[in-house]
Amino acid sequence: MFIQVLSYGIMIGAIYGLVGSGLALMFGVMKYLNIAHGTFIMLGGYASYWLFTLWGLDPFKSIPLVLLIMFTMGIVVYKIVFSPLVKVFHVGERIQNSMLITFGLLLIIDNTVTWLWTSDVRSITTSYTGSTFRLYSVNLPYNSLIGFGLALLALLCLHLIINNTYYGKSIRATTQDWEGATLMGINVDYTYLISSGVTFALSGVAGIVIATSYSITPSGGLEWLLKAMIVLVLAGEGKTKGILAAGLFLGVVEAVGVSLVGSAYREVFGLLAFILVLLFRPQGLFTER
Amino acid sequence: MACLHSWKTFLTGAIAVVFLALLPLLADMGDDTMNLLIMLFIYIILAESWNLMGGYTGLYNIGMAAFFGCGVLITHFVLIAGAPLYIAVLGGAVSAVLLAGVIGIPTLKLKGFYFSIATLALAEVLRITVGNLFPRTVWMPSEWFVNFNFIPRYYLSLGMAVITVLIMYILVNSKLGLALFAIRDDEEAAKVSGINVFKYKIIVFFISSFLTGLAGGIYTYYRLSFLPFSQFTPHWTFEPLMAASIGGAGTILGPVLGSILLVVIQDWFSLNLGQAHYIVLGTIFILMVIFSPGGIIQLVNKAYHISGLYKVRKKRNRVELF
Repeated sequence: MFIQVLSYGIMIGAIYGLVGSGLALMFGVMKYLNIAHGTFIMLGGYASYWLFTLWGLDPFKSIPLVLLIMFTMGIVVYKIVFSPLVKVFHVGERIQNSMLITFGLLLIIDNTVTWLWTSDVRSITTSYTGSTFRLYSVNLPYNSLIGFGLALLALLCLHLIINNTYYGKSIRATTQDWEGATLMGINVDYTYLISSGVTFALSGVAGIVIATSYSITPSGGLEWLLKAMIVLVLAGEGKTKGILAAGLFLGVVEAVGVSLVGSAYREVFGLLAFILVLLFRPQGLFTER
Repeated sequence: MACLHSWKTFLTGAIAVVFLALLPLLADMGDDTMNLLIMLFIYIILAESWNLMGGYTGLYNIGMAAFFGCGVLITHFVLIAGAPLYIAVLGGAVSAVLLAGVIGIPTLKLKGFYFSIATLALAEVLRITVGNLFPRTVWMPSEWFVNFNFIPRYYLSLGMAVITVLIMYILVNSKLGLALFAIRDDEEAAKVSGINVFKYKIIVFFISSFLTGLAGGIYTYYRLSFLPFSQFTPHWTFEPLMAASIGGAGTILGPVLGSILLVVIQDWFSLNLGQAHYIVLGTIFILMVIFSPGGIIQLVNKAYHISGLYKVRKKRNRVELF
């Protein structure tokens, strides 16, 4: 029983890590706190939902297409809405203004989606939904297993991109000091543009996982934003390194808490962990300073 | 225009308040106008209390719904238990302050965005948890519906809105206000100058959440029946925030103007546009944040600059506060 709870916590924890990684990337690189992050995840979910419903594409086979759609959307959104804020030099001010702007974006997208596709709760039901894989005495649903693998794969890709490519180098430089990076000849604007696209692509993957294992609604993004924010704080301000560990931590804490107290209080454990971490380790759980 | 210090503006405000106070006595307004005005007064309280944090202190509270909803729920349950109205409303406000303590003490010592994240997290957690615990609509006892009368609700909300604006005026012109400006403009410099940043931040957060809780109490008294979790939806964060930013955060008059605009626009748009009215509002809001961060007040000040009337204002050398 306990192992079942733990496996559930670990599987959802990887998704929390995936959800948090996009937010942390954008926050670390661009110093934008994207309130609409969860809403973009929902958009990714809707993309794969409509590809599945209208064209019959399997959600896990439509990943490249969804990635492409979300990447393009990231670039368009950056060009239209995010780029005016690059002129704001002061970091605190940039965070605050980006919160206001993405708050407005959330309002617009939420209501556009509700207007177009109604506020029904939707999820992708494939032929293998509901079937489980039995390992000793633990039941593992196939959907969650694939989602877990996808989340790990996406985080691994992100890690490799950041640490091993030229673009990753410019990301690391811009994160540390964007003024210095500009002086060293790094095209900061271009780095921001690509980071915005990558963030959106990450939320696209998260959207697919959520649409297959859970459900999507126009306003459901806020619940995932909440998880992403808690993960961001647990991992430490804008760090992509401890994200997976922080997500797993949150998932396990929630799963154990729910099995002890009851599912009505699920979110409270996340909040408690959040407040305790802020009180005692504000630099993040897995960073040493 | 933007200068509340001049006796003319005070006089205009006083006349407006007296007019609003006499309005229900002079003419029989329809229920629609009554509803609209009461909501306007509640919005003014909420927008001003957001403004105290966001505009004057530079702390963006993006979870106002938590404190508002807390005020609504606690006031409701205390009223049901049979306590008199003023105790119930005060109880709601005090419980909002307690909630503020839970969130404020760990986060206000850290960088500003931790505070924003924490308030949003609090609002979302409360929305989901309250939705799980109280899934049904709650009601006041039926005598309340039989004896429902707009007049006391109108005067209560009008009075609280006026008191809120006066409190804002006094705060901003006090020593506390000066400390707030210093913290907003440069926190490090304020610290070095000997200002106890944490103390002032937490005082302001308590005042702001107290006012928000009061607004929640008034809303309970006015609404009588509601879905408990719907008071925690981000809707209640967005609208005060939008009213304050569109009107002009960091000024006293701005949020009042913004609230009037928002209530009128909402009333008009939601009839004509339906679902699309939030899309239009959101677009206006984003454009305002990008092109005129100071809101309508800034636009008006710019117009003054261009038309040359600004020289007259400049003589009362406190104009830069507004």
